[in-house]
Amino acid sequence: MVDMISRFKTLLATLALVFLAAVPAAHADDLKPLVDGLGKSGYAALKDAVGALAATGDPAVAPILQSLSAGDLYVRKSDRAVFAATKAEGGYKLTDPATGADAGTAASGEIDKIKVNNAVREAVTAARGSLTLMSPDIAKRRAAAAEMFRNGDPAQIPLLDQALAKETDAGIAATLQLARAAAILKSDQPDADKIAAIAVLQAKGGRDVLGQLTAIEASSTDGAVKAAAANALSSIRGTLKLWDGAQNILYGVSLGSVLLLAAIGLAITFGVMGVINMAHGEMVMLGAYTTFVVQELIRNNVPWLFDWSLAIALPLAFLVAGLVGVLIERMVIRFLYGRPLETLLATWGVSLILQQAVRTWFGPNNREVGNPSWMSGAFELGNLTITYNRMWIVVFSLVVFAALMLVLKRTAFGLQTRAVTQNRPMASSMGIRTPWVDALTFGLGSGIAGIAGVALSQIDNVSPNLGQGYIIDSFMVVVFGGVGNLWGTLVGAFTLGIANKFLEPYAGAVLGKILVLVFIILFIQKRPRGLFALKGRAVEA
Amino acid sequence: MITAFILRALDRRTSIVLAVILGIGILLPVLNLATDPSSPFHVPTYVLTLLGKYLTYALLALSVDLVWGFCGILSLGHGAFFALGGYGMGMYLMRQIGDRGTYGNPILPDFMVFLNWKELPWFWYGFDHFWFAALIVLLAPGLLAFVFGWFAFRSRVTGVYLSIITQAMTYALLLAFFRNDMGFGGNNGLTDFKDILGFDIQADATRGALFFASAAALALGFWICRAVIASKFGKVLVAVRDAESRTRFIGYRVEGYKLVVWTLSAMMAGVAGALYVPQIGIINPGEFAPANSIEAVIWVAVGGRGTLIGPIVGALLVNFGKTWFTSGMLAEYWLFVLGGLFVLVTLFLPKGVVGSLMTKGSRKPVEKPIEDVVAPGVAAGQAAE
Amino acid sequence: MTVTNEPTRVAHAKARDSLLYLDGVSVSFDGFKALRGLSLVIEPGEMRAIIGPNGAGKTTMMDVITGKTKPDSGDVYFAGDTDLTRMDEASIASLGIGRKFQKPTVFESHTVWDNIDLALAGVRKPFATLFHRTTKAEIARVEEILETIRLIDKRDWLAANLSHGQKQWLEIGMLLAQEPRLLLVDEPAAGMTDAETAETAILLKEIAKTKSVVVVEHDMTFVRDLGVKVTVLHEGSVLSEGSLDVVSADPKVIEVYLGR
Ligand SMILES: Nc1ncnc2c1ncn2[C@@H]1O[C@H](COP(=O)(O)OP(=O)(O)O)[C@@H](O)[C@H]1O
Ligand SMILES: [Mg+2]
Repeated sequence: MVDMISRFKTLLATLALVFLAAVPAAHADDLKPLVDGLGKSGYAALKDAVGALAATGDPAVAPILQSLSAGDLYVRKSDRAVFAATKAEGGYKLTDPATGADAGTAASGEIDKIKVNNAVREAVTAARGSLTLMSPDIAKRRAAAAEMFRNGDPAQIPLLDQALAKETDAGIAATLQLARAAAILKSDQPDADKIAAIAVLQAKGGRDVLGQLTAIEASSTDGAVKAAAANALSSIRGTLKLWDGAQNILYGVSLGSVLLLAAIGLAITFGVMGVINMAHGEMVMLGAYTTFVVQELIRNNVPWLFDWSLAIALPLAFLVAGLVGVLIERMVIRFLYGRPLETLLATWGVSLILQQAVRTWFGPNNREVGNPSWMSGAFELGNLTITYNRMWIVVFSLVVFAALMLVLKRTAFGLQTRAVTQNRPMASSMGIRTPWVDALTFGLGSGIAGIAGVALSQIDNVSPNLGQGYIIDSFMVVVFGGVGNLWGTLVGAFTLGIANKFLEPYAGAVLGKILVLVFIILFIQKRPRGLFALKGRAVEA
Repeated sequence: MITAFILRALDRRTSIVLAVILGIGILLPVLNLATDPSSPFHVPTYVLTLLGKYLTYALLALSVDLVWGFCGILSLGHGAFFALGGYGMGMYLMRQIGDRGTYGNPILPDFMVFLNWKELPWFWYGFDHFWFAALIVLLAPGLLAFVFGWFAFRSRVTGVYLSIITQAMTYALLLAFFRNDMGFGGNNGLTDFKDILGFDIQADATRGALFFASAAALALGFWICRAVIASKFGKVLVAVRDAESRTRFIGYRVEGYKLVVWTLSAMMAGVAGALYVPQIGIINPGEFAPANSIEAVIWVAVGGRGTLIGPIVGALLVNFGKTWFTSGMLAEYWLFVLGGLFVLVTLFLPKGVVGSLMTKGSRKPVEKPIEDVVAPGVAAGQAAE
Repeated sequence: MTVTNEPTRVAHAKARDSLLYLDGVSVSFDGFKALRGLSLVIEPGEMRAIIGPNGAGKTTMMDVITGKTKPDSGDVYFAGDTDLTRMDEASIASLGIGRKFQKPTVFESHTVWDNIDLALAGVRKPFATLFHRTTKAEIARVEEILETIRLIDKRDWLAANLSHGQKQWLEIGMLLAQEPRLLLVDEPAAGMTDAETAETAILLKEIAKTKSVVVVEHDMTFVRDLGVKVTVLHEGSVLSEGSLDVVSADPKVIEVYLGR
């Protein structure tokens, strides 16, 4: 915060310098006596001098005032002329505050700093506002209006009225109105005006006006005004709460989509095939590393393709993870069908091997995976901020889900998968090559995990441990949603995501997560088969 | 009644095992203390500490085997009980530091001073007494297991579902203990111990005593397990493992049996953790990591589940291997070995080393593999059951 | 069939002197009705054969009686006034209802002896079994049962190593050891040789001398060997009831078994 402010100050100072250089000299000469007026002793005199400068309406005055309040102005004892001074070797380097022209040097004993107190500072602020409110530069006016709104100085009401009359930009005019309302609230104008002003602020809503309304509510002794302020406050707080809720839902949906992506492959291997694949997270990791490799190749060879890197990585990640999945199924899992606990252990072993393989190959550290341009940045929607990568991941997770549904429901392969999982001997006697279907189904689940890895590489660290972070969550989602039910996985993922984000503000991120885990543990006790349980003999053994 | 129950289990084979464990428990510390470092019979202290650690691992493995090998409950969360026991002991050791900590606060452990805490949280009361800590070492894991099991077994959560929620349990605890405001030292855990029961924790004699205590605990654990397994209760456990619903239809309330053995097993794991901590010198949230619990399971699988010697042998074998590997140039490849071990043992050695030897030595077939090979469709069902 | 909506009090009165009383029992799985208003009464000491095509709901009926499945509606009473729908499997078993599964399930890694010993009526609570010492009477009883089921010379075998038929007998032996008042036997002859089937029928008849037995069976010769009252189930309710001859002459039964 502090850092930001100081950076902002330097920015302003630079701007001021640039501006100074551009001001025509003739103009500056007219200002000279007024500027020297700043050198008179006494705060009251200083304040007057500031007022006189502001009254010129000359834009060149603004940077001078800025220097004044920054403490950069000095008066030369010998002729009481005013300069901007910066420390230099053997004393100070002087410049003309209006033109920025070099004015020689001075020893530190020869000049006095012009001291400002709060009253002067306020006068400066007000003066600068009035100057910039009239500026031809629209950005300046906007900034000035916003500043006036923040300060809400009653003395500026006439000025604001003046500016309002001239203002052509609707946005700025609205801000000016707000500034005026804020100023009225601090003035001693009649209650009716104040109440009207409160209405203006209330209509604006948002966090910005809360402070001003709270102040007036606290300070006001008048019943009607106080009540109006209180009213406005509660209404605004209510709206803000709604927005907060919406933001939480948004975060939750975002987390939910991540969970969905991570879990959806598992929903197939575990949910449909009944295979406990502890190496599932590593499939996600493989997908992420595939993205990394693709991006490396593109960076080094065809940089202009970078924005397409994810699109290229998707099919590759599917293939890599899917292929590894098929291998695992053929080499390990097929010998363990019907022994879920052993499958669990064996695939855990596979996960260790995959992790170590990636660690040996790519090193133990995080690898850099970049966001293509369309994945970076954010946009605003009402009071909400939505980042593009989060948004695309939500979209992507839903697309993957829909595609998977289609494959399972509409294709011959999907039909065979369901046939095999429901009645193996029957399917096999009807000529379905069940081992093939097993391998391919497992490959499909793994491939989808790989695809998820491409997406997750955009928001998570790509390291050998990437998968570990998802495995427990994925199992929780699948189990919570109901094993063997893809819709359950969808609902489960978003429910858990949103629940997590709603708990976070109250409990903190870690405790929120713990609470969700505990909740799921308890939930499984109540409904051992999850939210959308399949019933029937098939699940009872 | 209890003595009768315990003595009954003392057949020849059990007696031999107990004698061997206790013999080692006495012999090694004696060799460490009574021989000259240059003597070929000398056992260096670091070896003693290392082996002591293995013994506590063996006890942990035994506790996992009691529920998995004999009752079919595959716990992926026993590391949590182990760690809770460890924290119980760690808290005692922390309070023994007294004002010798960096900040010299006579009451508050260093990390609390660091966090600017003004007084000891209530749950640290009593840990200045060894007996209290010892009680907590048993009760904390026992209570957690009891509550967890009460819910889980009553609602008939079994198979992989149970495994997964045990894993979630230890994961949740991992997250919780990482938090500073839990009051257990957060990330860094508890460490810098000075002495135990008034003896310098670094002294050779103390190390020897801790080693012996670990051996004795392992022997006692083995004996108790043996007694449990030999009783009718143990037969019911195996019946539950083989055909849970059949057991119900004969009239046994399965959840009660599971709850008893689960709680007992958790307490054993807690004792193992409590003996582990003073020898290692630290306990931190990492002990709750799900990977640790699964590693304990693989010790049991390697040694042979459903036998009581198996887990002990497995824990020793795997950890010897780990030490050997990770101290050499091959350190990087240890995870390949461990991962390969998981795969190969489940595929080719489902009975483990001891189980396979016993079958070969063929007195009578020990056991069938726990589940018959069934088609995946049915597997989905079993997963649900 | 008899979908009665009598108030429970009346049902009670009827149930009082029966051993097992099912009235209007319905069970559905995801909308599929496995039992629809099934009613059945078994008298003390009675042996009853239940037949019916595959999927008629015979096994489901046993699931309901033994507490594995809770009915959606209907009454199930045992020995007059014990409401079975409120009890779990273990307590129903302790009441004296024994069950043999369609697929023989014995404890494979236990010896034949231990299988019977486990089933033996007596201690059931965890701590009781923990400290239990086998008594002489128990040993004698196990031996007696092993004699009955002709497995005395295989007492130290692991159950896993028994033949299919021997497993069926072992399971019946376990039932006997439970000393139940009512035995539910699901397809005992399935997968047996003819000789084994005949022997099984003899065994069951012997058992029926002292206990009530409900036998589910497909095998008509077997049912004829038993020579008892027969209930025909079809699509979850009772289609016909009476002696085998009466039942097989019933046109509805002929329709179901032979028709279409
Ligand atoms: N748990 C269950 N889930 C779904 N359907 C079931 C379940 N149990 C039984 N059924 C169905 O109920 C019907 C009756 O089954 P069952 O009682 O086993 O018949 P039977 O033993 O007479 O052959 C069958 O169609 C079966 O598929
Ligand atoms: Mg049937």
